[in-house]
Amino acid sequence: MKRDYSDPEIEAIVSEAIAAEASTARREARPPSSAIVWWRAQMRARAEATKAVERPLTIVHGLALAASMGLLVGVVGTAIGGLKGTIAWFAGIYASLAASGTSAVAIDFTSRWFMLPMTAMLISVVVLSVAAFVIFADE
Amino acid sequence: MANVTFLDVRRLSADSADAADVALAMDEDAFRGFYDRTSGALWGYLSRISGDRQVADDLLQESYYRLLKSNVAFESENHRRNYLYRIATNLVNDSRRTSRPLFDNSVEMSDIAASDTHADTETRQDVRRALGKLKPRERAMLWLAYANGSSHAEIADVLGLKTGSIKLLLFRARRKMASALQR
Repeated sequence: MKRDYSDPEIEAIVSEAIAAEASTARREARPPSSAIVWWRAQMRARAEATKAVERPLTIVHGLALAASMGLLVGVVGTAIGGLKGTIAWFAGIYASLAASGTSAVAIDFTSRWFMLPMTAMLISVVVLSVAAFVIFADE
Repeated sequence: MANVTFLDVRRLSADSADAADVALAMDEDAFRGFYDRTSGALWGYLSRISGDRQVADDLLQESYYRLLKSNVAFESENHRRNYLYRIATNLVNDSRRTSRPLFDNSVEMSDIAASDTHADTETRQDVRRALGKLKPRERAMLWLAYANGSSHAEIADVLGLKTGSIKLLLFRARRKMASALQR
């Protein structure tokens, strides 16, 4: 049967019940050791710090790769143009040889149709080597 | 201007990651002492407020980690402890928004010490049932007041309430708990 309790009585009942439950809870508690919690916190903090620091580097890697790909495409484009010119140059030489019957042909190494593809190929080799070094260094 | 290469940046970043331990708010000895003094009580709070032992296990470590990562300048041990309880309370509130069952009475009877009498066991079950009928904030409030002995100001600080409202809220929570215990 229920009866009406005064507030001090209710406070006593509730506080006693909760204090007893708290005492039980403390006995039940099996928290991991402080050493383990500290170690896990260290590992997690370190992992988070590494992740935070490496995020901009990943962006730099991506940019470097994109830039070198763009450069490569540009160089290939230029090289194709140069190749067309070189073929035309060889065709001209062949035509002039056939016409004059001369055996010695003076090849003009300073011609832009020769220099352009060679320079493009040289640049692409250098750029790709530097890009590969930057991307794969320290990994 | 100094020439800093890309590799230097990488080396620096690795160094700063290694130095993460100094970024924590306490040194190891201070932390371990504080943890040993508070972890049992905090586990009790978490298990009774969440009503789930597994949640208490998970949130205990998360609470201490967030405390370690905080940039708060603590004035005293009490201040630090209250801040820890505030973190723990927020974590319980967040976990409640997920689909985990709330107050499933998962503290098994087998965990109760063998010396306990049948009457003790029944009383404890009644208390847990009564706590389960309260709102989480009411449980937290009663626990802080009567298990931890926190003042109204401290309760308000932990739960993010106004100090002036704690007296009335405690009064209501007590009535509700007493009523649940009587049933």
